[in-house]
Amino acid sequence: MIRKLSCLALALSIAGCTGGVGGGEYGFNSPYSLVRATDITVGDDSLVVTAPHEWNRARPFFFDDVRWVEDWTLNGPSLDSMSFVSGLPGGKYLVRQSRRADRQVPKFRSDMTAPEVAAMIESLYRVRAGTVDFRTIALQPRPFVGTNGFQFDYEHLDTDELWRRGRAVGAVVNGELYLIILDGARSHYFDAAAPDFEAIVNSARIRR
Amino acid sequence: MSSLVSRRAMLAGGGAIAASLATGVAAERILPSAMIPLIGPGYRPIDVDERGLWQQYARVEEEIAGSNLLIKDPALTAYLRDLIGKVGGPAAKDMRIYLARIPDFNAVMFPTGFAVVFSGLLLRMRNEAQLAGVIAHESGHFLRKHQLRQWRDQRRKTDIFSILAVGAGVAGAGVGIYTGQIAQLGQLGTILSLLQYNRTLEAEADAMGARLLAENGYPPIEMANTWQQLIDEEKLSAKYRRKRYHRDISLLSTHPAPESRMADLRISASELTVPGRAYDNGRARYLAAIADIRPMLLDDQVKLNDPGASQYIIDTLAKDGWNGLLRFYEAEIWRLRNRAGDDLRAAQGYAAALAYPDAPADAWRWHGLMLMKQGHAAESRAALSHYLAMKPNAPDAAFVRQMLMEPNR
Repeated sequence: MIRKLSCLALALSIAGCTGGVGGGEYGFNSPYSLVRATDITVGDDSLVVTAPHEWNRARPFFFDDVRWVEDWTLNGPSLDSMSFVSGLPGGKYLVRQSRRADRQVPKFRSDMTAPEVAAMIESLYRVRAGTVDFRTIALQPRPFVGTNGFQFDYEHLDTDELWRRGRAVGAVVNGELYLIILDGARSHYFDAAAPDFEAIVNSARIRR
Repeated sequence: MSSLVSRRAMLAGGGAIAASLATGVAAERILPSAMIPLIGPGYRPIDVDERGLWQQYARVEEEIAGSNLLIKDPALTAYLRDLIGKVGGPAAKDMRIYLARIPDFNAVMFPTGFAVVFSGLLLRMRNEAQLAGVIAHESGHFLRKHQLRQWRDQRRKTDIFSILAVGAGVAGAGVGIYTGQIAQLGQLGTILSLLQYNRTLEAEADAMGARLLAENGYPPIEMANTWQQLIDEEKLSAKYRRKRYHRDISLLSTHPAPESRMADLRISASELTVPGRAYDNGRARYLAAIADIRPMLLDDQVKLNDPGASQYIIDTLAKDGWNGLLRFYEAEIWRLRNRAGDDLRAAQGYAAALAYPDAPADAWRWHGLMLMKQGHAAESRAALSHYLAMKPNAPDAAFVRQMLMEPNR
């Protein structure tokens, strides 16, 4: 989702989010590559997860590539998406953005608490996805990557007039942010992908 | 007109300017007294062009009326309906008004007599007179048949115009400038962005609006004040991001229009103000009408993390007095801005908010979190407990309770 947001924002100014060369199962020009149902390293390869089913990985998009961030989808990013953040260091952003943009996703800081990370995620949606209504459903403790993490559940209405639901599970480990986000249309798509998401979150471990 | 001129001008913020560049429209103030409404009660479209336009916009209105981006609070929508009924001139009773939840400074009038007000407009208005001024201005576009006049002028280039306007992320409508990021808006936003008027038509709507305002007992100077607020907000927003104000606000960069429009409005206001007559800006009425949604309006703006604009808005609202809600959101601006020293500034801001009786529960929450980060465990616990007492069912209650239990905090 994270990169998708950047794509949507840029989609009108450049041809689209089809960046990337290479082949794979989907052909030379496909913006996606297949994720097999096995152990996968994501982001900058410091996070390992086990996918219970096949997913589609968005190719790194050369304009908007944050090396700690990776996006997957099943039915296309406007219906569902899973995003991985693999140890974002303090002082970095979840998305590439112009320093001069009026509206900006806040910078991550190493000493952020879970409520602050949750607020940063909320601003990500409001700034980059055109979210006009954002509702926190719950913020609660949850173990993640072998440490005390958090689970953040929320719903958001975007300017395409669709309600979406999201769940972010994360933890700050040695000052770096590890996060997995599931985001999908509130009707059907979120729930359909939720079992895979749960399995992936529970399988996540940091590669040292 | 050469295509180069028109393209540049459109990219610069409106085909409108193209017309004035090509024809050299003189910058002369339009007298409020000359603004005779061209539309009366029960008006129906007359000729073929107009009937076609009305048909198209009936579909647009259907789309807008069914959008789930609308705020449908019955008391608030009734208030807006009454307001347009008051300052909408002779056709006031035929007009419709919709409130969209979009955190931008904008309002739009459609050719068939319905208006869309953005929630971001309600946030920025200091009193009823300011809001009535914007609505009267918009009504002026309808009463003077601007859409039809402009459409006839621009029919040939409408399609390319809309594509360019959307592509450049630039659009002006309603109050005159739309500074939001259109690429993020969906279909509704795109529709709203397509109505733009040239400078002469905007000046007419200003004059008509000022007249409607004065006739209904509002101080007409509030229209000029609204303009001033828009310009100053844009300036501060640009300054925070180290941009020159003129570069990014394209409509302003190619034209001294806002400043000259404001100057004209000030002259018109003094011309319309009758010495000895009492004018009421309706501030108390306005605050009562938006009371329930004001926290939401502030939340929607501040979380966009546009610190210059947000700070300007809060300072402007605080001219009528600080309170706990404004102090809390001021601290939120600093927390999200997140520059060196901002954590301390935010912490002080939350503490300051708590000095007011109307401090929201979230001020206690963030105050507690900031104290915790600073290592003040006991005070942090007290603040977080206060938060939970105020909001026992808060969505993050489970997380906060865990924080309270952790011994090392």
